Amino acid sequence: MTPERWHRVEEVLQAALDHPPADRAAFLNEACAGDEELERETSSMIAAYDDASQFFAEPAMARDARVIINGDAQMHPGREIGPYQIIRHIGTGGMGEVYLAHDSRLNRPVALKVIRAGLIFDEALLRRFQTEARVASALNQANILTVYEIGQDDEVFFIATEFIDGQTIRERIRAADLTLKDVLEIAGQLLSGLEAAHATGIIHRDIKPENVIQRHDGVVKILDFGIAKLLEKSSPENSSTTSPVVRTETGVGVMLGTIGYMSPEQVRGLTVDVRTDIWSCGVVLYEMLGGQRPFDGQTNADTLVTMLEREPEPLFGTGSKAPTALRQIQVVIDKALSKEPSARYQTAAEMRASLEQIKTTLETRKQIRAGAISAQTNVRDLQSLAAQNNTSGFRRAIVMAMAALLITAMFAAAFMYQRQKARANLLAVKAAPKAYLQMTEAEKLAFVEAQEQRISNMMGDRPVKLNDDALRVIKSRIDRYAARKPGEESLSSTYARAPEYIPVIARAFAARKIPIVVGVYLPLIESAYRPCYENENGSKGLFQFMPQTAARYGVSRAEMCDVQKMAPAAAHYIADRMAELGDDSQSMTLVLLSYNRGPNGVRDALVLLRETDANYERNFWTLFANRTKLDETFQKESAWYVPQFFAAAIIGENPEAFGLQMPALSSFARDVIEKR
Amino acid sequence: MMSVSAASVTQLLFDWQQGDQSALKKLTPLIYDELRRIAHHYVKHERNGHTLQTTALVNEAYVRLAGQERPGWQNRSHFFAVTAKVMRHILIDHARRRRYLKHGGQFQQVSMAEASLMSAERAGELIALDEALDELKNFDPRKSEVVELRYFGGLSLEETAEALEISVMTVRRDWRAAKAWLFRRMRETDESDDASLQSSIGNRKLAM
Repeated sequence: MTPERWHRVEEVLQAALDHPPADRAAFLNEACAGDEELERETSSMIAAYDDASQFFAEPAMARDARVIINGDAQMHPGREIGPYQIIRHIGTGGMGEVYLAHDSRLNRPVALKVIRAGLIFDEALLRRFQTEARVASALNQANILTVYEIGQDDEVFFIATEFIDGQTIRERIRAADLTLKDVLEIAGQLLSGLEAAHATGIIHRDIKPENVIQRHDGVVKILDFGIAKLLEKSSPENSSTTSPVVRTETGVGVMLGTIGYMSPEQVRGLTVDVRTDIWSCGVVLYEMLGGQRPFDGQTNADTLVTMLEREPEPLFGTGSKAPTALRQIQVVIDKALSKEPSARYQTAAEMRASLEQIKTTLETRKQIRAGAISAQTNVRDLQSLAAQNNTSGFRRAIVMAMAALLITAMFAAAFMYQRQKARANLLAVKAAPKAYLQMTEAEKLAFVEAQEQRISNMMGDRPVKLNDDALRVIKSRIDRYAARKPGEESLSSTYARAPEYIPVIARAFAARKIPIVVGVYLPLIESAYRPCYENENGSKGLFQFMPQTAARYGVSRAEMCDVQKMAPAAAHYIADRMAELGDDSQSMTLVLLSYNRGPNGVRDALVLLRETDANYERNFWTLFANRTKLDETFQKESAWYVPQFFAAAIIGENPEAFGLQMPALSSFARDVIEKR
Repeated sequence: MMSVSAASVTQLLFDWQQGDQSALKKLTPLIYDELRRIAHHYVKHERNGHTLQTTALVNEAYVRLAGQERPGWQNRSHFFAVTAKVMRHILIDHARRRRYLKHGGQFQQVSMAEASLMSAERAGELIALDEALDELKNFDPRKSEVVELRYFGGLSLEETAEALEISVMTVRRDWRAAKAWLFRRMRETDESDDASLQSSIGNRKLAM
């Protein structure tokens, strides 16, 4: 726009704004006197003005204070956190920054890992951070970093640990100055540390060269128990004979760890045990010797595919001329890198013993003939040996070509798995239904519980055992629905409207990969399937969007009653909420809450409840049971919204128990999806 | 707290006003610390359910940094202007990183952390605003300054008027016209972004 043109536009705009809102359109029409372009320009600005005023009503600081507090990665030297004074930044971890700091009380250096305040609203990260401190402080072994203290100073959480003046294994690999002896020594100490951790029931899950540090005196320390897991013994009486197993909390398709070092079972999101650390040790050992990772690709996807599908290149070539010691090491690596956990070393001790034996042989062997390798041989020389000895070169190329295709298939499979799981539940044969109104109170509660679990499952949530309080609340909602008074709309007419909208909703929600059950029952509690319902807050339509929210998702105020437009917008909106919740979006109940409350609100509440209830994880019902501790808005919302949702879904999925002459609502959605 | 004295803060402000860009660089960390202090106030008061007047806090920051030594209004307006610029810079920078993370970084744990600070939606808004403001500056630089001071600097109409040496009435009119123009422009950007946004969401959901 030229300044001259803008001058003219602004003149008209200002004059229009001087008029009361209702008169502005008429004024513009007259003032622009046939200048269509001008009228279009100014009208669109007038149309935007209300929303604009809302957007600019508060300064940016009011919305983005947390970004300012935490947005920059680093803290300045000299800053004091608790008794520690920051000296300098030494590294960045997954959850926060690591600083060298000085402990003024004990006059010693410490490594201070700091998690920024904004992150404490990310419940999953805070949990990892605390796990790290708890887990690592439970371990007292020479090869595991000693934790001094975990604490909080104002908005900052920190972990103070011993400060290791040394090099990470990553740095040592880069420097390429490792000898064979060094490698065996490092691997041995690493395995000793893991042995101690495993004995305490802890698996590390993120062993990689960055997380292993070697002090200048040679002592190796394992760092970063941030995603460690406490093992769950399968049962107390046979715990000595069975491998401890751990239930993944992340669910299928979510990976926690570092690509390139994660075991196949970890990547797949399956149950992992101590043998996942064995695998990662195998990768680190391979990398220390070969200078590169056994499974590597140009992209993460390539790496994953190579790891899941291929055997690594033999370190010392495919010929059989490699010296005995190297062939023995290769055997150890191959065993550690077996895709099948049962084919690996079963304990860290076993693997350490194998390496120990190789080391002893090497150390006692005198250099009998020239060119023989010894413990002092630099691994670089081994690498050139490998190059000479290598007889195959281009297998990798073929692998890479397949990578993109396979990775897509893998993720799709993970998603399908969840869907099938939901489907299986959907199709589960139900016992001959008894009418809800004829059930005893106890039967009703049992029915509510079973159905809540089934619907949670359909939503992709891990079902939890509800407390009686929560069950009663859902039940009371159902009771209220079931016993509608004369004058109120009957249940059957509300539900009868559903089949009309569900096909549209199902397509939109499937396109965004959101559990369809959410799409089916959200509108039911929001507007009882009346597409043009408008409430006292000014929200409107099937999904009760505020006009400005709808506008943000491309739906104008006039279009808000159009289900064809609103269903995709709602799916898009929920997909965004899920993305915002990140890890937590695993739980659709949480997403449902954040739908009204915003992810930060949900996280705040979780942080609050963490102190109260050990079982708080991703569990709406814990929020519910502790609702008196929440602020008022959240209290109301959590007490109303989610029980209402489940009540609507329980009725809709069990129509016969409520005397409704129709199939389960989700079956309409299923038909649509299956026809596609 | 810092090695830069109050006297040099006023000097730096003066230098910056004279066009010395390196002065802005030196000022930025100081101002960032002050902004962080203000942000802490906000977060605290947000919990108590109170709203805050940023102007008062920025004023406090100015007094703290510049001391009583040269409390001229001119220096103070320069300080406001720098504060608003730094604020804008930090937020836009973060929004850009946030957008990058959304598109390319779903395998990094850090992305989750960053993402929790700012929603994708908010990042999009800020970037659109930043671009629209740059555009506005081309044909009406004063309005773009008014918005920077009001929205990023948190200044009241009166403070903005003082800082720009114009009447409150002019600020009021500039502000409302700028809001209408900017927001409409942001909406246009939003619509044209929608197609690419849709496909990126498809990708993100795979990690579910």
